[in-house]
Amino acid sequence: MKILAVCGFGVGSSMVLKMSIDKACKERNVSCEVENTDISSAKGANADAVFTSHELAQELESSMNCPVFAIKKYMDKEEVGNALDQLLQNGGK
Amino acid sequence: MLKELLPKENLANHNKVDSWEEAIRLASQPLLKQGAIEEQYITNMIDSVNVNGPYIVLNDYFALPHAKAGEAVNKQGMALLTLDHPVDLKGNPVKLFLVLAAIDSTSHLKALSEISELLMDDEKYKVFINGNVDDIYKLINGEVN
Repeated sequence: MKILAVCGFGVGSSMVLKMSIDKACKERNVSCEVENTDISSAKGANADAVFTSHELAQELESSMNCPVFAIKKYMDKEEVGNALDQLLQNGGK
Repeated sequence: MLKELLPKENLANHNKVDSWEEAIRLASQPLLKQGAIEEQYITNMIDSVNVNGPYIVLNDYFALPHAKAGEAVNKQGMALLTLDHPVDLKGNPVKLFLVLAAIDSTSHLKALSEISELLMDDEKYKVFINGNVDDIYKLINGEVN
């Protein structure tokens, strides 16, 4: 499974979000490749899911053909974990 | 290395500020004085919050202001401001501002992941939120585990 962690610039927040997703996957014994990137490179990229902020999620939804999860607090393990559980239940590989 | 990017002189504590913009400006002062960033970088960070929303608030009370790598940045660096009283950042109370100035998309990642590891540890997170600069520096410097 491949997840993109997206922020506006791809240098700061998305890296932290990637770490949170990596941790959540590890806790659940899910093997997953997480890549962090900025919003313009993310558009149209190939992935099983995108995790990003509420503001950027609205912008991304139309240009992705995979589910987009809006995360409020990138470092919040519970929030990120819940989004991951939702993805896993709805056909994440 | 984290302690090279975030030396002790880049840590500061203030009692309170009037706005999140002021907090970002204050937090950035060490980087500005060292010539690591230009004034424009501070404007870019503030503009980004106004355009992209408050996603730089990564956890309760913690924000990571940053803008595009290499634009108005001369040298990579970080600076940290703690507040005794939280300030509102578009609906989120914030006590900890970690300014990140990057020169490209990769050079700072090791340091950023080191400090994120500290911040993702619940006990250490409390030390950051409590705002005592000496205690925080001990964590950054690896003096306590």
